[in-house]
Amino acid sequence: MRKVSFFVLPLILFVGLAIFLFQGLFSDPREHESTLLNKPVPSFVLPDLMNTDLTYTTEVFVGKVTLLNVWGVWCVTCAVEIPFLEQLKNEGKHIVGLYYDQDIDPDFGIKTVERVQQEVEQKLGQLGNPYAYNIFDVKRDLSLDLGVTGAPETFLIDKQGKVRLHHIGDINPRVWQNKFASVYQELIAE
Amino acid sequence: MMRFKALIFLSFAWFSAYTSASEETYQFETDAQSALFFELTKELRCPMCQNQNIADSDAMIAADLRRKVYQLVNEGQSREEIIDYMKQRYGDFVYYQPPVNATTIWLWLLPLIFVFIGIVLVIRSRQQKPVTQDTAKLEAAEKLLEEDK
Repeated sequence: MRKVSFFVLPLILFVGLAIFLFQGLFSDPREHESTLLNKPVPSFVLPDLMNTDLTYTTEVFVGKVTLLNVWGVWCVTCAVEIPFLEQLKNEGKHIVGLYYDQDIDPDFGIKTVERVQQEVEQKLGQLGNPYAYNIFDVKRDLSLDLGVTGAPETFLIDKQGKVRLHHIGDINPRVWQNKFASVYQELIAE
Repeated sequence: MMRFKALIFLSFAWFSAYTSASEETYQFETDAQSALFFELTKELRCPMCQNQNIADSDAMIAADLRRKVYQLVNEGQSREEIIDYMKQRYGDFVYYQPPVNATTIWLWLLPLIFVFIGIVLVIRSRQQKPVTQDTAKLEAAEKLLEEDK
């Protein structure tokens, strides 16, 4: 009896540890659950990127299912993702951009809005434009309130303007199929 | 020569550390506010980069969070209020001290359990029963020894 437990106990410990560490191999350390899930988008008043006289508030999300995509021309992964987003747009999905610039630092602003608009037009001219419009997060305040860690990130927002999904990283056919498609269908049906 | 090279390297290392630290200068009204700022930027974790606090990280998000901490400190918010503000946006991940709940309780319990098991094993091995003498077997052994003579 003693002998059995002498061998079996370390074996159980070893297998337990191995399973624990093996799972770790496939977990994404950048994946955190958003604190905003099922909560309304934080309030904001921000200009349109291309026409700064236009302003948007949370009301723009009411009444339709929106994909809010955080991006910037300086973001390499965003450029990879945009053609697929355009495909989604052509399937009839409502995609809104949340644009922020790296060089417009609230403390040391050096870049003009015109310059940013020029860059965006050029980039979207090359890649295609999936966005219905772009909200310009001038000082990155809305990004901070949304818990954005970088770009690209995407929020799926329901018809009541509540966040239902937060994805860190690019959207590609696999991510769409595994993570977004079923939730999106549910929200459309709501 | 070697020493000279090391000296150059060190002076550059020091220089770069100095310049990166001086990129942002925050002015505080009181020493207490400045102390709170430095304390919080060390305890808040950069959500983008793994295991760097926001004071250490060069990521843009870390710079944004530092600026936010500065702004909140200047508004006179307390330590707890600022930590809650960040947790509301970036979850428990953003603060190095994890909250105690059903999942994280094991962080404290497991080491205690291991120590407890260890102590039990040590005590049990100390208390091993003295070997009982089997007189019958001893006699048989004596006999065998006798026969050999």
